[in-house]
Amino acid sequence: MSPAIRSWLREPLLHFLVVGLLLFLGYHVRHGDEGRGEPSRRIEITSDDLRQIQIAWLAQGRPALTAAELSGLVDDRVHEEILYREALGLGLDKDDTIVRRRLAQKLEFLFEDVAALREPTTEDLEAWYDEHPEHFRQPPRATFRHLYFSPDRRGPHARDDASAVFGKASGKPIDWPRDEARSDAFMFPDYYGDDPFDSVAKLFGPGFADSLFRLTPGAWSAPIESGYGWHLVFIDSMTPARVPPLEEVESAVKSEWIEDQRSRMRDAAYAAMKARYEIVAPKDMGAAMAALPPLPPGMPQGAGIVPQ
Amino acid sequence: MKKHVLLAAAILVATRLPAFAGNPDRDAYFGETHVHTSWSLDAFAMGNMLTNPGDAYKYFQGESIKHPLGFDVKIDTPLDWAGVTDHSEYAGVVNMANEPGSAVSKLAVAQPLILKARTKEEMERVALYAINTLASGAPIKELVSPEIAGTVWKRNVELADAANQPGKFTTFCAYEWTSMPSNMNLHRNIFFKDCAKVPAMPFSALDSKHPVDLWNWMDGQRKAGNDLLAISHNANLSDGRMFPTEVDTKGRPIDAVYAESRTRNEPLTEIKQLKGTSETHPLLSPNDEFASFEIMSVLLGNPPGRLPQIVGSYARQALKDGIALEDSRGFNPYKFGFGAASDSHNTAVPYRQDNFFGGHTFTDGTIEGRMAGTVVGGMFDARTESTSGLTGVWAEENTRAALFEAIARKETFGVSGPHIKVRMFGGWEFDASTLTDRDWVQTGYAKGVPMGGDLPPAKGKAPTFLVWAVKDPTSGNLDRIQIVKGWTKSGQSFEKVFDVVWAGDRKPDKRTGVVPPIGSTVDIEKGTYTNTTGAVELKTAWTDPEFDASQSAFYYARVLEIPTPRWTTIQAAKLGIAPPDVVAATLQERAWGSPIWYTPSAGARKAAKPATTVADLKKQGAQALGDEQLKALVVEKSVWFQNNVTGSKYMIIYGALGKGSAASSLTPADPGYVTQRFPAGQGQFQLRYVGRDVAMQSLTGDAAEAAYLEEPRTYSIAGGRIFTDLAGTPIEIAVFKLGDKYLAARSNEFGYANYEIVPAVGQLAPMAAASR
Repeated sequence: MSPAIRSWLREPLLHFLVVGLLLFLGYHVRHGDEGRGEPSRRIEITSDDLRQIQIAWLAQGRPALTAAELSGLVDDRVHEEILYREALGLGLDKDDTIVRRRLAQKLEFLFEDVAALREPTTEDLEAWYDEHPEHFRQPPRATFRHLYFSPDRRGPHARDDASAVFGKASGKPIDWPRDEARSDAFMFPDYYGDDPFDSVAKLFGPGFADSLFRLTPGAWSAPIESGYGWHLVFIDSMTPARVPPLEEVESAVKSEWIEDQRSRMRDAAYAAMKARYEIVAPKDMGAAMAALPPLPPGMPQGAGIVPQ
Repeated sequence: MKKHVLLAAAILVATRLPAFAGNPDRDAYFGETHVHTSWSLDAFAMGNMLTNPGDAYKYFQGESIKHPLGFDVKIDTPLDWAGVTDHSEYAGVVNMANEPGSAVSKLAVAQPLILKARTKEEMERVALYAINTLASGAPIKELVSPEIAGTVWKRNVELADAANQPGKFTTFCAYEWTSMPSNMNLHRNIFFKDCAKVPAMPFSALDSKHPVDLWNWMDGQRKAGNDLLAISHNANLSDGRMFPTEVDTKGRPIDAVYAESRTRNEPLTEIKQLKGTSETHPLLSPNDEFASFEIMSVLLGNPPGRLPQIVGSYARQALKDGIALEDSRGFNPYKFGFGAASDSHNTAVPYRQDNFFGGHTFTDGTIEGRMAGTVVGGMFDARTESTSGLTGVWAEENTRAALFEAIARKETFGVSGPHIKVRMFGGWEFDASTLTDRDWVQTGYAKGVPMGGDLPPAKGKAPTFLVWAVKDPTSGNLDRIQIVKGWTKSGQSFEKVFDVVWAGDRKPDKRTGVVPPIGSTVDIEKGTYTNTTGAVELKTAWTDPEFDASQSAFYYARVLEIPTPRWTTIQAAKLGIAPPDVVAATLQERAWGSPIWYTPSAGARKAAKPATTVADLKKQGAQALGDEQLKALVVEKSVWFQNNVTGSKYMIIYGALGKGSAASSLTPADPGYVTQRFPAGQGQFQLRYVGRDVAMQSLTGDAAEAAYLEEPRTYSIAGGRIFTDLAGTPIEIAVFKLGDKYLAARSNEFGYANYEIVPAVGQLAPMAAASR
């Protein structure tokens, strides 16, 4: 985030503009129906409107508006405003799922934005880290070399061949040459330095990674299967999984903490709003559903699969 | 001094300066380029309300998140990179700046709303104060200023940056430009190279639904320092408008400016996703026995009474049209590479047949709902929905800059879901021994070009392609690698699929070169398979046996796995029902590598015999035939044609035109007794004498089959043209008389008159002279 953006995020004006919009919306929620009916037939393009159009245009990184372009955009705005007012006048916003869900989503965003303004203290982060160490646990890592036995070249004998070579592997060093071991060229590297579990799993498949990280370092292993065939593996060293100290992962912890604040604010705001409503709904949903009139014919009655 | 500078510059240019650290031979990185979270309005409206882009990034790294229906979903093989592409429409207005000490901040009414300190308690106080005062008072107008805060886009950028871990998992700032005029899918996903260099607000389809306007805006962004690129998708749903050859969406002719703008801005097309495959269609590629993979041809929103156009909706035909345009008009708008992705609206994405949970929240989110054939969005049977694909990229390191540059140069491939790796180099100096060398990749780069590139000027008789593929270790073995070749001559374009390397000891057909199918190990009743056939790795050096240096061409690799059970088969087995009859029970997962192009030099072009254009004919004083003359020429006649480009000769029987309501009473013995009932001016024609081995020019359907079956198709004569159609797209044939010769031009052949009426042929396959 650039310093410029960071500084205006701290600006008190920002969050109180946000909260101001809350008030505005709230007013419409409570009083929006009043004065509904015939839409006002007067559309005035104020300098505020021009400013808003200009800002939206510039925000896309475009060059400065010409008068002709602004004129065109004002026409678009008028076109939109007329349709918007007529639509509202006809009550088209009522019972429109998209309008309802979009407004709900917008309100949630506003709450989240307010929550994001607070910088966490060191205590906040330490407390969070103590409660959620698993999110930041680092996987085990291994340094190893492997010998590959390819089913493309050996067909169904790949496993037996690998076992036979394992029989001769006792005491052999990690750099036991491929020619001597009579194994096959592998299409990816033979040697891996300090490779984390996820990386081994992604390349060889999770089953191979599970088996590999159970091996004891210092000797050639019995054959292990991957998605590519069979392998003997020599682990040079292995580092177990660890939970790093906070300093190492501080920015990741902070990001998670901020996300958590956002959802808490969302939930708290919703709880506060809900407390002010009286909700009347049937207690026995089963009975209420049974009491509904039958569905019209031709309407899907509910997906039915009968297991054979 | 100048000499030294020039010398230094020359040395710099000559050496391959590494742009990035990491692996100079490049590694393959798999990423998702198209996914929607609850921040996409339609996803939210559909019921995805739980998860946001942050959750998407966690999912792609292998963590479990919630499906919109509330159950946990997870992938076993994490991705290397991703861009979350929520819709830019409805992203909201931006707060550009706040002036300190403004008049508003001094209003008395505003004071209780100002935080006294940045503490949790103060924030809650202010928020609750605001909520509790909702009951009273009119809105405070001064507080509602044009500069309002909070955008989806800004948050998207923040989350992408928070999740970006260079070298481990890369995130891109991205969004979807959702242009859909008249239900035609023209969507693009836009990717920014650097999240610090993005506009405050993206260009949305509300600003314009025309791709040319999007590209203009993108050019402006690049000039302003915000590097970006676009990836088109769902050509299969574009009603033929994704790859036009005549006019763009504004009605302006496709020309060099269009081509340059498109090439500059749109390096890739997403060739496969949940809503089907856009590589090719069996009606366009009748000789490709693997062309029917995951086909979906519908229109978004399912508008009643409209057939989606197939011509113009598929990548392979677009590549062919592109080189035909290059050849005939000097510009190629369709020189794109391939990626693949999902278009899931669940935040989470199903990539594998054995882990398929749909992409459209609750509509296809339960096994019963899917297998009951729920019609998703009124558009398609849920059972025909596919798994998601992925985009593979060959780059030096897993960072935004390296991956972005790889996409920009098209060194990419698409996969149908599993992490199959494919790589191809084209050059003039390769041979079979090149691949035995452990450093063959370095040789590939040094002596040739990778996928997405253009072959250097010809240095030999024919180009050789090094192609290599390795299976996904958790998926099926490989069946074969094919190379799809397209070439053009005189406005006609052709394609051929070559089997270049395959698993096992199958022998290709001696004449056709086609390798028989690999046996299937799938147990359809159980929905299982085994890796007892197929190969782990395939590689070969293949030289084009039919190369003609005077013809523009492209080549791309297609890798096929062995047959594995489709998700519908697996889920039918789970429910104990029969697999559905609307899709195949098994499929062969695959990868598509980006093409390599060959463009003939001016000298090589001259070697080709010049072809006749309609303009040439007019200049020579040829007469265009009108309706009556056309009717006299062909109706109720058997006409022999020669395709002057290929030399092949064939016959068309044009049947009687209908009489419609003017039908008179004929007896059954009269030939026109049945056909007179056709509407006036409409008749049937039939093609004869086309063999299987003839390379057929584009948009002629399965000519050999039609000839063998003597399958009639509809034609009519109007406006000085003979009208037929292919896959629902009209094809017009104009006929010209020059002296005593009749020459014809098809409307899809870019102004060339490639056909000539010839005398009846006595022998269709005359024995050639001793040179054969």
